[in-house]
Amino acid sequence: MRVIDEKSLYEIALELVKRSSTRIAPDAMFLLRQAYQREKSLAAKRMLEAMIRNAELAAETGKPVCQSPGYPVVYVKMSPAIIVNANIQKVFQKAIVDATKMGYLRPSMVHPITRRNPGDNSGVGVPDVEIEISPEQDYTELTISFKGCGAELANVVKVLTPAQVGKDGIGIKRLVLESVIAAGGVPCPPVGIGIGIGGQIHQATKLSRKAIGAREWTDTNPDPELAKLENELLSAVNSLGIGPAGVGGNTTALAVKIEMAYTHTAICPIAINFHCWVARRSGVRIYSDGSAAFKEDMYRPPI
Amino acid sequence: MSREVILTTPLKSEDVVSLRVRDVVYINGVVYTARDLAHIRIAEYLKEGKPLPVDLRGAVIYHAGPATRRRNDEWEMIVIGPTTSMRMEPFSELLLGRLGVKAIVGKGGMGEGTQEALKKYVGVYLLAPPGCGVLQAKFVKRILAVHWLDLGMPEAIWVLEVSNWGPLVVAMDSHGGNLFKDVKEGAVRKMHEILKSWVVLQ
Repeated sequence: MRVIDEKSLYEIALELVKRSSTRIAPDAMFLLRQAYQREKSLAAKRMLEAMIRNAELAAETGKPVCQSPGYPVVYVKMSPAIIVNANIQKVFQKAIVDATKMGYLRPSMVHPITRRNPGDNSGVGVPDVEIEISPEQDYTELTISFKGCGAELANVVKVLTPAQVGKDGIGIKRLVLESVIAAGGVPCPPVGIGIGIGGQIHQATKLSRKAIGAREWTDTNPDPELAKLENELLSAVNSLGIGPAGVGGNTTALAVKIEMAYTHTAICPIAINFHCWVARRSGVRIYSDGSAAFKEDMYRPPI
Repeated sequence: MSREVILTTPLKSEDVVSLRVRDVVYINGVVYTARDLAHIRIAEYLKEGKPLPVDLRGAVIYHAGPATRRRNDEWEMIVIGPTTSMRMEPFSELLLGRLGVKAIVGKGGMGEGTQEALKKYVGVYLLAPPGCGVLQAKFVKRILAVHWLDLGMPEAIWVLEVSNWGPLVVAMDSHGGNLFKDVKEGAVRKMHEILKSWVVLQ
């Protein structure tokens, strides 16, 4: 049994915040470089070039990749072999506030109605923390994801009827394509698209955020039906020709990730969640023997 | 064919009129940041007849909220990049018509009102590579001034001296050209093809 106290959790949290704000996840970087090779039009190539160069510069200089820090969500997959003896939400908030003071994050969290900005990214509910118990794991995994908020403006949530879902989910696929077209350049393409299907609407939205915020963009969905749908939608979305920054081109999305839950026979809730190309995600695994490893350091691109 | 063009501020109608959708632009000179709250205050000041702290004739407005740092007596740019322009859509007539702004730089494109104003007053909407905060900061040579800092760091008006700032893609020109409209029309056509093929497969 290993115990993580408040002090060591804070150190981990601060490191995750620094890492995720100054570099984009290696899986997204891999996909961006691949897209650059594939892209034909001048404006599209110039845009991708700027994005790749920017991400490299941020990593070299330790500056934030994007001026807008996005909204933080912390995903915790907890092993019963490890006790976290601290208030995870409070500790991550302190790390975020301190990272803001150090210049890693622009003060961007405000009261939703008065728009008052406390100036340090503190505030009720920041960050959002999602905890899940994983009894089979001998490690506890903490992942922070800062998702840009321009992209939020393009998100779509809807409760479909079984008739609207249609045969083979064609209604779902159509809604995704329509949403991508309506979004255009707004969510900073090439985007990641997280799709949550099922449950009630709150589950669908949470699943959509987790799909694109917590998963590596080059992974394969363990559910073969969802894996097939992810590939089908990715290639359909990229044939629309919206392109990087919406200037036209072959790369509109880098990834489509789907998570589902069973739902009631009367409904099909769906949430389509856009992530800009700036995939700010960093994760750590803390093992029961006391060792720890960052997920992005262990990353291997697909063969 | 798209071209690459270097412009120097303040911009004149002649500079802008030759630009066409898909051209790639680089800017030298002075640029003003403004986003939601600065636009709202500009509109309020004009309504109340109060003077603005900046003269925007021939100006380049940048939809951006920078992260800056005060070092001794000088402001230092950490990162700056474009924000979603559509939120500033209601103010285009005011900026381009009444204040004489010539170029708006942002991301995601703007609406019908802006398209009309760009045509009427000869202006251009440029797209900056989104999310490229560090790269964009490199083009800022100096922060010349900051106004309305009480609105918060991202919402203030930052006056920036830039050198060879780009690539910026012309997304809306003064002839009614609209890159996003072209791209969207193509996407809708393609979607109908895809949907048809899915139905056939069933």
